[in-house]
Amino acid sequence: MSILSLRGLRKNFGATEIIRGVDLGIEDGEKHAIIGPNGAGKSTLFHLISGRYAPSAGAIEFKGQSLANLPPHRINRLGIARSFQVTNIFPRLSVFENIRCALLWPSGYRYSFWRLLDREAGLNRETGQVLEKIGLAGRAEIPAGEIAYSEQRALELGMAIAGGAELILLDEPVAGMSHSEADKAVELIRRVTEGKTLIMVEHDMNIVFELADRISVLVYGEVIASGAPAEIRANAQVQEAYLGEALSDA
Amino acid sequence: MPEVLVFATLNGLVTGLLLFMLASGLTVIFSMMGVLNFAHASFYMLGAYFAYSISLYFGYWTGLILAPLIVGVLGALVERYGLRRVHQHGHVAELVFTFGLAFLIEEAVQFFWGQDTKNYQTPDLLDFPLFTLFGQEFSAYRGFMLAISIGIFIGLYQVLTRSRVGLIIQAAISHPHMVANLGHNVPLIFTAVFGIGTALAGLAGVIAGPVLTTFPGMALVLGSIVFVIVVIGGLGSLPGALIASLLIGLLQSYAIAANVGMPELLELLGLEFPRSHPLDDLWTLNLAQIAPILPFLLLVLVLIFRPTGLMGKREQ
Amino acid sequence: MKALAAKWGLWGGYLAVLLLLPQVFDSILAISIFNQMAIAIVFALSYNMLLGQGGMLSFGHAVYFGLGGFLAVHVLRLMEFEAVYFSIALIPLIGGLTGLLAGIFAGSFSTRKAGTVFAMISLGIGELVAASSLIFTGFFGGEAGVSGDRTFGPPLFGMDFFSDTDVYYLAVFWVFVSTLFMYLFTRTPAGRMANAVRDNPERAEFIGYSARWVRFISFCAAGTFAGVAGGLFALNYEFLTDENLNLVTSGRVLLMAYIGGLGFFIGPIIGAIILTLMNFLLSNYTELFLLYLGILFVLTVLFLPRGFAGFIMMHQTAWLRGRLHGLALPYLLTGLPALLFILSAVCLLELSHASEPVLHFLGLSLARDSTLSWAGLVLGAGLGAFLTARSTPRLRRAWEAANAPETRVGRERAS
Repeated sequence: MSILSLRGLRKNFGATEIIRGVDLGIEDGEKHAIIGPNGAGKSTLFHLISGRYAPSAGAIEFKGQSLANLPPHRINRLGIARSFQVTNIFPRLSVFENIRCALLWPSGYRYSFWRLLDREAGLNRETGQVLEKIGLAGRAEIPAGEIAYSEQRALELGMAIAGGAELILLDEPVAGMSHSEADKAVELIRRVTEGKTLIMVEHDMNIVFELADRISVLVYGEVIASGAPAEIRANAQVQEAYLGEALSDA
Repeated sequence: MPEVLVFATLNGLVTGLLLFMLASGLTVIFSMMGVLNFAHASFYMLGAYFAYSISLYFGYWTGLILAPLIVGVLGALVERYGLRRVHQHGHVAELVFTFGLAFLIEEAVQFFWGQDTKNYQTPDLLDFPLFTLFGQEFSAYRGFMLAISIGIFIGLYQVLTRSRVGLIIQAAISHPHMVANLGHNVPLIFTAVFGIGTALAGLAGVIAGPVLTTFPGMALVLGSIVFVIVVIGGLGSLPGALIASLLIGLLQSYAIAANVGMPELLELLGLEFPRSHPLDDLWTLNLAQIAPILPFLLLVLVLIFRPTGLMGKREQ
Repeated sequence: MKALAAKWGLWGGYLAVLLLLPQVFDSILAISIFNQMAIAIVFALSYNMLLGQGGMLSFGHAVYFGLGGFLAVHVLRLMEFEAVYFSIALIPLIGGLTGLLAGIFAGSFSTRKAGTVFAMISLGIGELVAASSLIFTGFFGGEAGVSGDRTFGPPLFGMDFFSDTDVYYLAVFWVFVSTLFMYLFTRTPAGRMANAVRDNPERAEFIGYSARWVRFISFCAAGTFAGVAGGLFALNYEFLTDENLNLVTSGRVLLMAYIGGLGFFIGPIIGAIILTLMNFLLSNYTELFLLYLGILFVLTVLFLPRGFAGFIMMHQTAWLRGRLHGLALPYLLTGLPALLFILSAVCLLELSHASEPVLHFLGLSLARDSTLSWAGLVLGAGLGAFLTARSTPRLRRAWEAANAPETRVGRERAS
C-alpha cells in the first residue's frame, strides 16, 4: 500500500502552470528520488506535499488522509518532516536548541509553559543522541548561524529526522558540498533514514543512484518516467530529455 | 442640509488630498526600501516650522519654495547616515529608528521653536473668500490648498508614468527584489526617493500649517492617520493610498458635520434608557465624538479581514 | 552543581538587593524612585517578551498596562466604598487578569503575522483604546483620570499602606515573582519556541508548531505582566489618566527595553533602572530631558543595536581570554574627551535655552550674554570631538587585539 499518493496534482501561479498533473505513489519504506532539469517543479512538488503551497487541483493523501489545504504544522504532526534546499534553521538559537525544538512537538510537549526544558532529562538525552548521529555533538552550544555551511546542512538534516517522522522529504541535501562532504552526507542520510520512507530531490546522479531504490523523472511539471534505477538509466525518453547530459557530466 | 453636505465634501477633499501628499511619499518609500517611515509626519511638521520662520523674514511665498527643499535635504541626510546604517539590522530596527527619530524631531522642534502654537498665517494675497454658497464662505486659501494638492498629484502621476526615474520606481514597486539588479546607482536612488518623499511631506506642512495650526503636536495628530491610510490603501499601492486618503478625509469631515449620535438613533428606534446608567457614555455618543477613532477602527478591521489592504498585493 | 549554585546565588542576590535598598537609601524620595523602578522593571520585561523574545514590535503595549491599572483603581474605589472586601496585596493580580483578558482578545486577531503588519495593528489598537478612553469618561475619567485610595483595605502583616515604603515591600514581592516567572517562561517549550518563531516562523511550522499560536501565548503572557505592572502603578500613584495607556507610555517602554538591550533577559531591567534614574536625576534640573532622551535613543539604535546589555556582553570574549585590562587605557583615552564633548554640548544646549541671564550648571556659572562663555563651550566641544576622533583608531586596534583569536600555542595549552 502506498504511504503517500499524489493524484492529478496541479499547481499554477497565475497563468504559469508549474505542476501539470502528477500521479505518483510512494511505498512504505521506499527511498525515492525525484530528478529532472532545473525549473521542472521539483521543489514546488515538495512545497505542495509539505503544505507551503496549496494545490490548484488534484489530491495528496498520506496514509489515506488528504493533506490538501492543511497548514504545514498540521502536516508535520501527521509524520512528515522535511529539509530545505536553502538552509532554513533558527540562526540565533544554539545547535542544541535547534534540534531540541525539532523534538518538542513529536515528544508531546505542545505549547506547554509549565515545564522547564532543562529538567526534561529524556528530551535532552534524545537531543544529544541526534547530535551524535549527525556529528555535531561538539558544536552543540554554538549559535546555528555561526557554524560552517556543511555543518548547517547536517543540522538541517538533523531537524528533519529528529522527530521520528515516517516520511522524510530532503530537498537537495548535498547541494553546495565538496565531494568528501557529500560522501559523508550520503552515509549519514543512509544511516538516519533507515526503516523510514524517504523522498529526495537531488541533482547529483551518483548520489541518486547510490541512495534510491526508485526514481521518478519530472520534466516541465510532469512525471515522464518512474521506476528502478536500472530502468531509468535505460529509458530512452529519459535519456533524451535529461539524463544523457547529466550522466555525461558526471 | 445641502450646504452642510457641499462644505463637508469640499473640506473632506482638501484634507484627503493633503493626506495623500504625505501618504504618496510614504508609500513610495515603503515600496522601494521596505521601510515604513514613522517619522514621515515629523518632516511634515518641520516643513510648517521652517516655512513659518522663513515667512517672518521673506514672506509666505519664499517659505513655500524653500522650506520643502530644506526638509528634503534633511530627509536625504537621514537616509544616507541613519537608515542605511540601521538597515543591516532588519526592518524592526528600521521601524524603531524612525520611531525614535519622530520622538527626537518633536523634542528638537520644541527646543528651537518652543511649545506654543505659532502664529503662522495665510498670505494676504489669499485672504479673501473664494466663493459664498448658502451664506457660507469658502476661503481662497483652501482653494489654493486644493489646487496645489491636485497639481502635485498630476505632477507625480506624470513623473511616475512618463519619466525614466518613474519607470524605475514603478518597477521597484511591483518587483522589489529587482531593485538590486537595476545598476550600481541604487543607493543614490534610495536617497533621492527618500529626499523627495520627505520634501513632499514638507510641502504639505507648509500649506497645512496656517490652517491646521503650527504646534509641536501636529506631527502626532496627523502621523498615525497617514500610517492608517497607507495600510488601508494597501502597503505599496499608490492608487490605494489615494483612495484611502480621500476616504478618510471625507469620512472624518462627514462625521464631524453630521450631528447625529446614539440619542437620535435610540429615539428613532423608540428605545429609552435611564440617565446615569453605567454605560451612559455609550448611549450619548455622537458621530462627531467618534470621528477621531474612526480611522483606527478602520485600520484594525482592514488588517484583520484584508491584511493586504484595499489595493495591495503584498502582505509584508 | 556549580552552575546551579550560581543560579540560586543570582536570584538570592536579586531578592536581597530588592529588600535591602530601602534600608540603605531610606529617604522618601529614594523610596518613590524605587517604586517607579519596580513598576518599570516589570513593564519593560513584559515588553521584552514581545519584542526581544518573540520578535513582535508593538506600539501599543501601554494598553494592557493601562487597562490593568484602571481596573485596579476601580477595585480600590469599590473597597473604599466597602462594596467589596479584597486584599490590597492582590491588587496587581487584578491588573494581571485584566491584561490577560485584553491580551487574549487583541492577540486573537493580531498575532497572525509578525513584522510590519503586527506593528501596525498594535498601533491601531493603541490609538483606538487611547481615543476611546477620552470618550468613555464613566470608566476612564476623561482627561481628569480616575483616582482611588489604597489605605482602605485590611492591613497586611501590620502594613496599612499609608507610606510608600509599605507599597515598596509589596512591589518587591510582585517584581520578584514576575521576574522569576518571566525568566522561567523563557526556559519552557512555549518560551523557546517563541525564540524559534522570532528567528524563522516558516521553519517552526515545519517542525509542528503553529507560529500564530506560539505568538499568541507570548502575547497573552506579555499582556498579563504588563497588567501586573499597571496594578502596581495604580497602588503606587492611586491615580490613572489616559496618558497611561496611550502612545507616550507605549513609546517609553519600547525605549526602556531597547536602550537596555532586547536580546538579553537582563537588558530591560538595566533599561528600566537607567531610564528611571535619568528621569529623576535630569528632569528636575533641565527642561530638555526629553530631548536628551531622544538623542540617547537614536544613538543607541544607530550604534548599540543590542543596547547597554549588549555593550557589556560584547566584552565577554576579551574577558574570557583575560585581555580586558588591555582595553582600559584606550577606553579612558577615548572616553574622557568624549565626556568633555558631551558636557560641553549639553552646556551649549542649556545655555541657548536658558531663561535666566546666568546659568548655573555643573558647577559652572555661564552668562548668556558673555562671549567668553560661548567661546569656551564651543572650544571645549571642539577639543573633545577632535581628541575623541583622534583616539578612536587606537581604541579600535586595542579592541581587535583583545578579541583576536588565540594563537595556536595558546589554544593547545588551553585544551
